[in-house]
This record gives sequence, C-alpha cells and structure tokens, in this order.
Amino acid sequence: MFKNFFNKKKSFAVNIFPGDQEISISRGETLLAGALRSGLAWPHKCQVGSCGRCRCKILEGKIRPEIDFNYVLDPVDVASGFVLACQSTAKTDIKVSVDLTHKRK
Amino acid sequence: MKKLYVNVRYLIVPVMTVTTIIGLFIGGIYAWIGVFLFGINTILDTLTKDIHLKADFDEDGNSYGIKIFQYSVMYLMLPIFIILQLALANNLYKFIYLEVLEISELVGSILSCGLWAGLGIIYGHELSHNKREGFNVSRAIMALSGASHFTYAHVYNHHLDLGHEDDPATAPRGRNVYAHAWLSHAGQSKFSYDLENAKLKKLNKSFFSLQNKWLLGYLYSLPSIILFVWSGGLVGVIALFIVWVISNFLLEALNFMGHYGLIRETGKPVEHRHSWDNDNLFTSWFFIEIGRQCDHHVRGETYFWELDDVKGPNYGIGYFSLFVLALIPSLFRKFTQKHLDNWDQNYATGAEKEIVNKYYVNELLQKASK
Ligand code: FES
Repeated sequence: MFKNFFNKKKSFAVNIFPGDQEISISRGETLLAGALRSGLAWPHKCQVGSCGRCRCKILEGKIRPEIDFNYVLDPVDVASGFVLACQSTAKTDIKVSVDLTHKRK
Repeated sequence: MKKLYVNVRYLIVPVMTVTTIIGLFIGGIYAWIGVFLFGINTILDTLTKDIHLKADFDEDGNSYGIKIFQYSVMYLMLPIFIILQLALANNLYKFIYLEVLEISELVGSILSCGLWAGLGIIYGHELSHNKREGFNVSRAIMALSGASHFTYAHVYNHHLDLGHEDDPATAPRGRNVYAHAWLSHAGQSKFSYDLENAKLKKLNKSFFSLQNKWLLGYLYSLPSIILFVWSGGLVGVIALFIVWVISNFLLEALNFMGHYGLIRETGKPVEHRHSWDNDNLFTSWFFIEIGRQCDHHVRGETYFWELDDVKGPNYGIGYFSLFVLALIPSLFRKFTQKHLDNWDQNYATGAEKEIVNKYYVNELLQKASK
C-alpha cells in the first residue's frame, strides 16, 4: 500500500511534438518552467495562468492542473486535452503538442 | 545564522498583529496599540529610507528562505486575523451589552483592527499566486475584509492588464488615492463578476451555482457579518463597515503606490518598467517583499523571499512614507512628478511616450476649458 508513496518519481519525461524533443521536469515543477529551464522557446507571457499564451495539448499521460483552466481556455478544448503549461505539473511521463516556432505577437 | 536572519525578519506583521490582539483583549489605552504600532512603523520606515536591500542567496544561488516555514506563517495568519476580529467583537459586546468599555476604547479597537486586518493583503496577495490550498487561504483572508474577489481579479486581471486602462488596480496619472480606492475595489469586483459569468455561461451553469467564485467569495464574508451583528447590533455593523473601509483602503493604497502613472501599450508584454519597485529595508521586511513589484510582475509565481532588485523605476522611499504622502494628493503629485518625468525619459518606449504626451495634452485642454 505504501510502496507507491515511498517510491514517488522525482522527475518525469516530457516528449514534445512536433519535433519529438525530450526534456525532463521535476515533480512539482510546471511544464512551462521545465521547458524554459531546458532552453525551449515555449510561448508564454504572464506565467500566472491568465493570458493563455502557453496553451498546449496533452497527447498522453496525466498532469495536475494548478488552477481551473476554464477561465482562460474553451471548455471544449479543455475536454479535448488542452492545458496551460504554466499551471500544469506532471503526474506521469507525458507527451505534449505545442508550437515552438511561434512568433511573439 | 544567515538562514535564521533571512526567515525571521519577515515576522514583524505576525508579531505586531498578535500584539494588537492582546491590546484589544486587555482594553484601556492598550486598545489603541494597533494605531500606535502603525505610527511607529511609519517612523521606522522613514528613518531607514536610505537603506536598500537585495535578495539573499548563497554562493550556489540558492535562496535562504525556508518554504515550509514561510508557508506555515502565512497559513497561520488566517486564524490570527480571525482572532483579531473576535477580539474586536468581544470589545463590541462589552461596550453594547455589558457596558464595561469606554467609547474611546471601542474607537481604538476598531481603528487598530482595521489597520491590521488591512495587512492581510500581503498574505492574501502572496498566496493568490500559489494555487490550490494557498489560493483558498488567500480567499479566506481577503474575505475577512469583504474583498475575496481580489484573489481572482489580481491574477486574471491585474497581472494581465497591468499598466493599461483595462486594469482597475493601475491608477492613471492625476488620480488620487481616495478615488482610486473606490474605483479599483469596484472595478476588480466587477471584473471578477464578469469572469465568473463568462465561465458559467461557457459551462452552461446557472449564475447561482456553487461554481460561482464571485458569489461564494462574498458568502465567505458572511460569518464576519453575523459575528458583528450578534456582538454589537447596528453598532457592530458600523464597526465592521469601518474595519472593511480601512482595510480595503490599505489594500488599494498598495496597488496605487505600486503602479501609479505607469503605462503599457496594449498587447505588449509586462516588463520591469511597468511597476514601481520598493526595496527599502523596513518596507521589504514588513510587507514581505510585496514592494518588489518589478520582478514580481515578470516572475509572478516566484516566492517573495526570492524576488530581487531588477533596477526598475523606484521612488526611493518606503511604503509607509509614501502612504503618508499619498494621503495628501497635492503633495503626492508633486513628489511623484519628477519620478514620472524620469520614467518618461528613461524607461518608456516610443509608443508609451506617445500615450503619456496625449495625457498631458488632454490635461492642458481640460485646464484651459475651465
Ligand atoms: S503564460 Fe499566461 S497562461 Fe501561461
């Protein structure tokens, strides 16, 4: 019963599509923070969950939402897997789709 | 040792709030202790106005701040602020029903409670950026001042629209703190109402849903209202109203001082120049670094003890001293004008300068038409 509790993973693998790049994020670290720490040009602006600029789609795996995404994202998109990277921490290894070639508006 | 110093220095407000509570329970002249401490802090802040600090990191760049300790203190402030209200309610009961309290003691209790309840903002603010339980503690602390809407408005409105007319918490040039307190309070509540309305519509939920955080926020304030009605009837309602006015005024004064007159072009990212920094020793310790607005608005979820000097615009004096100036609008405008001129010349972009110029032209036209 306590096996999982004591053997908690300290970090998770994040595969980013398109491009199939892999980064690692620590437990409790947001997807955006991990990506920026790894030098990726992940789109972002406010970093507090209010602008929606860091949105991405989870293709596989589980995240823990730190806030209610419905304020910023369309509920239909949320239901289909869109999340805010600055407000998502990983619960498992994940595969995610995001456009890293964006131009800052 | 350094670790101890870095963490303990942020305990001024908890210690002084507890002192204020004790003063309220003892009564007599001690009921005024909260007002007295506020005055002492203004003097200390003014005396130390020339001491500016940077954040403390070890050689490896790690902060000395102990997260579990700082969070425990912030969470502990919720019951402390509740006890502060209970202490005032106790004095009200003694005044109205037991008739063992002088009116001067009651006035001192109300003012002391209002001033220290207002400092709930520094914890409400910090915790608004730390989601889940921290966010809820922030809402509960703000609800004690009838301002639970702040938590949502701060994150979804202020952080996004800072320096722009869509942000009620940013005071445009020429506005005084009294007008700002009301406009910012009402504007943030309206924003929070609209935010919930839009969310509930998207989710096909009724306005009277448990998911309506705007409505729920005001319901969280209901226990305070019931407590004060019970302990003092109409006088209790008036006392609570005064406490809420004072505490919300302090909250909005902090917003006022943090961004007064600064401008950001629509759609452009928030940068360090869009806030006034405040790195004075006493202000930094007392307000748990809430004055490091420049860094905070760029790295919104950074813990307060890690926020640093980023060479942003700075008035050079602490919040207590600035607050005193803000209370006298003509003096505040005079003091801030040279800093605004400096901002216009050395920080503003071309587009921001154009907005500034339009403002001054409009001001001249208005004066001429009078
Ligand atoms: S960066 Fe703004 S919502 Fe994530």
